[in-house]
Amino acid sequence: MPTFKLDGKDIPFSPGETIIGAAHKEGIEIPHYCWHPGLSIAANCRMCLVEVMPAANQRAMMLDILEWDAASGEYKPQRKPKLQPACQMAAVEGMDVRADSSEHVKQARKGVQEFLLLNHPVDCPICDQAGECKLQDYWLEHGQYEKRMRDEPVHKPKATVFGETIVYDAERCVMCTRCIRFMDEVAKDPVLDMRERGNLKEVIVAPGRQLEGHYTLMTEHVCPVGALTSKDFRFKARVWFLRAAKSVCQGCATGCNAWLDFDPRYNKAYRYRPRDNEQVNKYWMCDEGMLSYAAAHEARVLEASVKGVASTPAHALEGAAKRLASVPQSSIAVVLSAQHSLEDNWAMLELSKLLGAKDVFYTQAADGYEDEILINKDKNSNGRGVRDLSPSAKPFGDLAKSVAAGSIKHVVALGGATPSGDRDAATLGKLDVLITIAAHTSSLTASASVVLPATSWAEHSGTWVNASGLRQVADKAIAPQGASEPAYKLVADLARALGLEVSWTKLKEIRAALGASDPAPDVRSTTLTQAV
Amino acid sequence: MAQAFPKKPSQPTNAAIVVYTEDTFATRSYLPAIATGLATSMQHFFENAREMIRGQRPDPITEPFAEGITTVSYPEQKRHYPERFRGVHRLTQRDDGSPRCVACLCCSTACPAQCIFIEPGEYAEGDKRRGYERFPVRFVIDELRCIFCGFCVEACPCDAIRMDTGAHAAPYDSREQFIYDKDTLLSFANRAGEQLSENPRHEPGDASHPGLSRDNVH
Repeated sequence: MPTFKLDGKDIPFSPGETIIGAAHKEGIEIPHYCWHPGLSIAANCRMCLVEVMPAANQRAMMLDILEWDAASGEYKPQRKPKLQPACQMAAVEGMDVRADSSEHVKQARKGVQEFLLLNHPVDCPICDQAGECKLQDYWLEHGQYEKRMRDEPVHKPKATVFGETIVYDAERCVMCTRCIRFMDEVAKDPVLDMRERGNLKEVIVAPGRQLEGHYTLMTEHVCPVGALTSKDFRFKARVWFLRAAKSVCQGCATGCNAWLDFDPRYNKAYRYRPRDNEQVNKYWMCDEGMLSYAAAHEARVLEASVKGVASTPAHALEGAAKRLASVPQSSIAVVLSAQHSLEDNWAMLELSKLLGAKDVFYTQAADGYEDEILINKDKNSNGRGVRDLSPSAKPFGDLAKSVAAGSIKHVVALGGATPSGDRDAATLGKLDVLITIAAHTSSLTASASVVLPATSWAEHSGTWVNASGLRQVADKAIAPQGASEPAYKLVADLARALGLEVSWTKLKEIRAALGASDPAPDVRSTTLTQAV
Repeated sequence: MAQAFPKKPSQPTNAAIVVYTEDTFATRSYLPAIATGLATSMQHFFENAREMIRGQRPDPITEPFAEGITTVSYPEQKRHYPERFRGVHRLTQRDDGSPRCVACLCCSTACPAQCIFIEPGEYAEGDKRRGYERFPVRFVIDELRCIFCGFCVEACPCDAIRMDTGAHAAPYDSREQFIYDKDTLLSFANRAGEQLSENPRHEPGDASHPGLSRDNVH
């Protein structure tokens, strides 16, 4: 691999790569606003200027400038090298690039910062970006000057509503055009553009339209400053109170990698941010996915219940055992869930083996919207995982038929959405005994005789298999809510209550068993998911 | 057998040696000691009676330097608190009575006791403050958790929270009463009885807003 030198350090690059791109891969950040690894090059913010030393036997490109000389009180002619934007300049073998080590670059960064902040309202205390704002970060690193401009700043529209999800503040905007390029290039909906020139510039939505579609929240995420804010997160929390856990989006079978931001003080999830993964979601997530963090708190099963009456988990387990005591164990049907983690499903499958159950089914939500970008029509986060784990498991429709025909009377199920909601609830109502271990309410909990509260994906670590068969681990974010416990533990408790001997107590043991038993070629696991 | 207790100090200490009164008939009878004690009590009794009859009160400034202990008949009589005493918080008001607070959460960030809870809200469409500011929908201070360090006051960029009420946290009979909400905090005044702040407030769009007129929004 060819290399170039950045501040004396050798940086490998593939031909055609830019200086900033190669440095980014090496973990070195050259300050930038408009450059984004997933978008085209605009080179309009000028923050990434670097000094490229002339090759041997060549002269440096110099600029004649006038520099203020405080000693003599007048401008003096000076010469300084012409700097190059690192985001646009392709790397060349043996190139000598100076960034942090060049005084000219430092001066340029300071100048660019001052320029970008000339008309900035500096309303950090009420800005949602505060704490993760590049203007703040770079001001601390490269600026640190006092404001010299005494003129009135230019005023532009504030709190302009762009659509259902996004609010725009033109005064905070640095006109990097990331949002515009995102809508053009990734969302393929060129609904944003700029108008006016110079310091009157502002981002606008195409006349007669709103910022809409399935990828609007990403414009807020790519915004390096607080110009675009999402209505969902706006004013909800300060980012420095939040902690992030590596998570996997539960919205569909794509399994986008995400950071789940939560406040440990209130044990509450606040938002999703995409987590870069070249293999799965690159740098993006869809709106539905980004808003699906709310499922950590909405429609949750938080306490055990027997026949719809709240009870303690111990009492509910007792009730479940009593109801199944007189039933031949092999006639109990077991239902896996495409919306529970691989570990939970593995435990459930083990239970079916211990019971000697003849019938194993799996439940999954109905198909939905899909597109070419990220959204998969399979709305289950672990459908592939369940089918790989138990290829003989039959879909929910077969269970509904058997229940309607009366050939199945007793079911132990993992929760999760069923293909046709209320109709399924009516069908399941015909069962003698339905014991459901669920994190969210569904038709399976509505008609259950005993419900045991399980933790959601946000409350315990779990493995999820996406549509392409990639196993991804989502870490625990918040603490378990209510009386909920991980489903694999509840399955073990239930098995013990039924007088069976279980082999697992810890997640580690299940993972070891999964690693050994899984015939799928994709046991590459977590290493791939920990990109950037 | 070696004596286990009390342990002999391994090192000589610089503690004063206690000298006990000589055991005589006079001390054994306790009478002189009782008489001395009664004399002290009666001295205080007559002093207090004289002060009460004359309506005299201890001078709050010189009182700490006076010899002995003066009794403050709280709550009729209160100790003087210095000018910069950090008392119970108050939320300063704008001219229209709304809080100056813009719900930036700087105070709750600075708070080492984590006793401040704020829920920010957005001004309605058409309000001239919309986009420039936000406001606290809820502003709650748990005065029991508060350690009265004054960091919230230091952190506030808007002079919206102050501890100049001159009052210490009053004793209540239940914990809930120590949870001060926005309206309670707004109702407090400083020692001069003012609910505003000495620092002028510049609203966006005001002529007094430093160098800002919003007329040239294009």
